[in-house]
Amino acid sequence: MIAIQILNGLVYGSLLMIVASGLVLIYGLRRVVNFAHGSLFMLGAYIAYAASLQFGFGGGLLAAVAALAAVGFCLDRFGFRLLQDRDPLTVMLVTFGLLLVFEDVVQSIWGKQSYSLAAPEALQGTVDLFGSPFPVYRLAIVAVGALVAACLVGWLRYSRIGLFIRGASTDPVTTAMQGVNTDRLSGGVVAVGAALAGLAGVVSGPFLSLSPTMGSDILIDSFVVVVIGGLGSFAGAFVAAMILGQVQALGAVYLPDLAALLPFALMTAVLIWRPSGLSGSRV
Amino acid sequence: MSAIITATALEDTQVKRNPGVMRLCAMAAAAVAVGLTVNMSVTSNGLMSLLTQATIYAVFALGLGFLLKQNGMVSFGHALFFGMAGYLVGAAVTLTGWPVGMVVVLTVAAIGMFAFGLALVIVRVPGIAFGMLTLAIGQSFYVLVSKSRGFTGGADGMNINFPAQVFGMELASFQNPSSMFLICWLVLVALVLLLALLLRTGFGPLTEAIRENEERARFIGFRTLLPRAAVFAVSAMVTAVGGVLSALYTGFVSPESLHWSVSGTVLIMVVLGGSRTLWGPAVGAVVYYLFRDFVGEHTTHWMSIFGVSLIAVIVLWPAGIAGGVMRAATSLQRAAARRLA
Repeated sequence: MIAIQILNGLVYGSLLMIVASGLVLIYGLRRVVNFAHGSLFMLGAYIAYAASLQFGFGGGLLAAVAALAAVGFCLDRFGFRLLQDRDPLTVMLVTFGLLLVFEDVVQSIWGKQSYSLAAPEALQGTVDLFGSPFPVYRLAIVAVGALVAACLVGWLRYSRIGLFIRGASTDPVTTAMQGVNTDRLSGGVVAVGAALAGLAGVVSGPFLSLSPTMGSDILIDSFVVVVIGGLGSFAGAFVAAMILGQVQALGAVYLPDLAALLPFALMTAVLIWRPSGLSGSRV
Repeated sequence: MSAIITATALEDTQVKRNPGVMRLCAMAAAAVAVGLTVNMSVTSNGLMSLLTQATIYAVFALGLGFLLKQNGMVSFGHALFFGMAGYLVGAAVTLTGWPVGMVVVLTVAAIGMFAFGLALVIVRVPGIAFGMLTLAIGQSFYVLVSKSRGFTGGADGMNINFPAQVFGMELASFQNPSSMFLICWLVLVALVLLLALLLRTGFGPLTEAIRENEERARFIGFRTLLPRAAVFAVSAMVTAVGGVLSALYTGFVSPESLHWSVSGTVLIMVVLGGSRTLWGPAVGAVVYYLFRDFVGEHTTHWMSIFGVSLIAVIVLWPAGIAGGVMRAATSLQRAAARRLA
């Protein structure tokens, strides 16, 4: 029983990790807290749903990731880049305005009812784990999460662009002075961040259901992750996502009345202990 | 920029002065007169209840705007204090049977203390993460209340059975739009006046200095944590007053009043009205309601419309409606002064 709950926590933690790493990427380059990130997640899920009716799950996945990368690029080119000299608060409120627009667009196209995205045939069964059946699809989510984490770590640690991104996350101005075109870099990075949100949306489609509120639910949890992990820190976000996943899954079983308050309690405890998050890097 | 301004002699109109106490009282009296005029001239019941609701939310927006003005921080979780005030009043009235006046005072005080304690933890977080934090905190209480069982009624909300006499007045006068509008308006004006008086003390310049540069404020020897937490607590208490008014008016409180979209909506009002003055957010609330009523008749896409207007206002016109009014007033004053000279 407890092993299954820990696995469930791992599943949700993987989703959170994908979403939160997108937030961290965007924050690192543009110093923007993207309130529209949950809407991008939702948009990804709905686009995949629409495309999967025609082309199946794989087609939906590709369509959603490509569409979201394009949205992310435009967001940077026509939004963050033009506003980069403004107060961070201003840009944060702009992304909040975008959230309202995206939610309205989704509601006016697909309405308020919820949909569910069919998992690909190969992943539809269950396997026996620890004596009880467990959906294969959930294991696939964990695998996707691990793959994304590995790719991100490899990309950021060992590639030239990764070096630039790490540099720009530490200090955008100095990095630009060394000859890195941070504007071009940001376009790509925000596109990747948005695509990750879209990917998480698609992957969560068969696991959670598609509804206009799915964006704000995940947004809030991933904010908790980013705050616990420390703004702008990937390692912090990975660890915090896994912890929060476990807290949510175990809390729902063992402390059902207080489950809603657990993330908040965890966050408060971490912030009293380390005001700038687990990673402790000051930003 | 600022060095240039301080180097040359400032023109009289450039010097920012706090308005005198007499002038504040005169403005408050004028605002009361405006409320009375509106109350007498509006005959349509629909418009009246719209204005009452707008005034209740104007109190909420006043609280949220105060935080942004004095602390430079945006809260996405202020609905917590709004809804919690309603629940606390409802619970105390139902369970204890204490006089409503005492319950209301205790509620606002309790929320002030809760907010102060919370603020001691969360205002230490760098500004930009503060919005994320408040969002998460507010939302966790929303989920807690909407899933709770027992007398708070869970997702269905809670009816509050107020006694027939509230503050020595008939309960009916709180639930009739026309008289309630006047009550809310008077409360709003009184709160703006109180906050303006508070900002005339050392508290105003101190918190503004901390907002502009916390580190420098510390360098010159001020403790910064307590004033910032105090701003948060005051802002939460003003918001709680709004929640109490809403509970009195409707006799009902639902978890929806805790939802973060309420905080977001009020934030739109604050930005629309302009947060550089105390009264801007209140004007924003009234404009929001009138505009939404007008737009709502023509389209259901008001969320998009408000999203786009929010972006447009914040990018093109960051000082909001109040900023525009102030600029117009200053240029009128200058023109008048030039004609006299």
